[in-house]
Amino acid sequence: MNKQGLINTAAALLPLLLAVPAHAGTTLDRVSNSGELRGVLLESYPPFSFLNSKNQLEGFDVDVVKAVAKKLNVKLKLDTPSWEVIAAGKWGKRWDICICSMTPTREAAQVLDFPVIYYKSPAVLVVNASDKHTSSIKTLDGKKIGVQQGASYERYLQKTLKIEAPGAIQPSFPFSKVNIATYDNEEIIFQDLALGTGKRLDALVSNLNTANERIARGGKFRVAATLYAEPNWVAVDKGDAQWQARVKQVVTELKQDGTLAAISRKWIGSDITQ
Amino acid sequence: MNMENRFRLQVSLVILLLLGLLAWFAAAFGLDYRFALEKLPLLLGLQLNPEGLLQGVPLTVLLCLVSTLLALVIGLASALGRLSRNPLLYGLATFYNSFFKGTPLLVQILLIYLGLPQLGIVPDAIPAGITALTLCYGAYLSEVLRAAILSIPRGQWEAGKALGMSSRAILRFVVLPQAMRVAVPPAFSLFISMLKDSSLVSVMGLWEIMFLSQSYGRSSYRYMEMLLSAALIYWLLSVVLEVFQHRLETRMAASSRS
Repeated sequence: MNKQGLINTAAALLPLLLAVPAHAGTTLDRVSNSGELRGVLLESYPPFSFLNSKNQLEGFDVDVVKAVAKKLNVKLKLDTPSWEVIAAGKWGKRWDICICSMTPTREAAQVLDFPVIYYKSPAVLVVNASDKHTSSIKTLDGKKIGVQQGASYERYLQKTLKIEAPGAIQPSFPFSKVNIATYDNEEIIFQDLALGTGKRLDALVSNLNTANERIARGGKFRVAATLYAEPNWVAVDKGDAQWQARVKQVVTELKQDGTLAAISRKWIGSDITQ
Repeated sequence: MNMENRFRLQVSLVILLLLGLLAWFAAAFGLDYRFALEKLPLLLGLQLNPEGLLQGVPLTVLLCLVSTLLALVIGLASALGRLSRNPLLYGLATFYNSFFKGTPLLVQILLIYLGLPQLGIVPDAIPAGITALTLCYGAYLSEVLRAAILSIPRGQWEAGKALGMSSRAILRFVVLPQAMRVAVPPAFSLFISMLKDSSLVSVMGLWEIMFLSQSYGRSSYRYMEMLLSAALIYWLLSVVLEVFQHRLETRMAASSRS
């Protein structure tokens, strides 16, 4: 082989060497070959996913991912890395699916793909039960509002939230500027608000279902206002169109045959999957 | 009653009083400790997690034990590198030391766990956690060991040379045994610190003590109860280390007198 031929061959091989990102179908192949679906979940997000007293994961999200695995006719393996690790994307073949109440914000859509929506839950403004007046975020300008770091609620309070989903209704921001207090975990936000209005917080932003769960368990809180409808989508690692199509098909079937509605009624008390 | 016994009695009284104050403070929270007691077997890791992995205390102890042993090896190698006049060894040890002491352990864990898969290696959570803890604490330990070796007077080396011993033999039989005595208290402080820092591996989904206590605490809305149980467990584990350290110090002191 002459020198020119060598260079031509190298030039022809180069694109093959550089094509590292996930090829279409790799996740789908992995799941069907191994007979195992590897999902990620949060371990402390009741009633969606949490560790129960028997040391097992359970909740709305857990039942949905179990139903997906059953439909695919594969075994299920669940992992519980931190939210930051899940949301960083680039799962490196570790995980196949995240049915973990994720909202496709602009930032999340850059690192993950979102094949299908599986429930909607309103984002709400929660105040201490002793605050009988607040009925809108409009009156909270300059007040201190607690929110979980990295959650879409934080972007809402920064007025930068944009939901990257087909047909999504974009939130409006009827306030000029609030004082945002970001927390590492939602438990502490609720505890700080429970101390009383204005002690450490004036309000917090969370999800209607988690807030209701706390109020039902005797938390001294009140849902003051609904802020925007937050769609929660199934998330998968970037770049596998065939896997996305398969996931979308399975979840749509589960919606149609009433499985999702039944799971929703079991954990939430109403159907939030429509 | 001799002076020594009298002193011990007084110390015990002081400690009992402080424990009482702490118990009073904990009681002032008005928490439901029966709940914490129910969850204790799970924190103690008496059963495996649903995926069949270790959880709770056995997981934390395994991570720390293996990391401590490996950190001793890496720490000693790095300390000797920092004392060496070989530019490659000195440069390697200095860079390693500066990087792993100077960057947050959480970032190191994520670099290993999330970074390596981009190069095609996909480490499991336990090996990734052990690697990160070993590298981080190896760097701290190397400084402790280096200081301990430097604390041994030059005269010891010169005496060894005068007896015709090689540098390696002087290090092995004269300097290191004495340096170890100096290194024990700060090294054990590092091990205790590692015990608690090991909770950072939970970002990879390992169900260690802090992960379990936070998860149970959040899902049952009994956060402080579970955190205090975890604190008590960590404290007891570190007391075990302190007792071990005390015995080691007594033995080394006795052997140096003889």
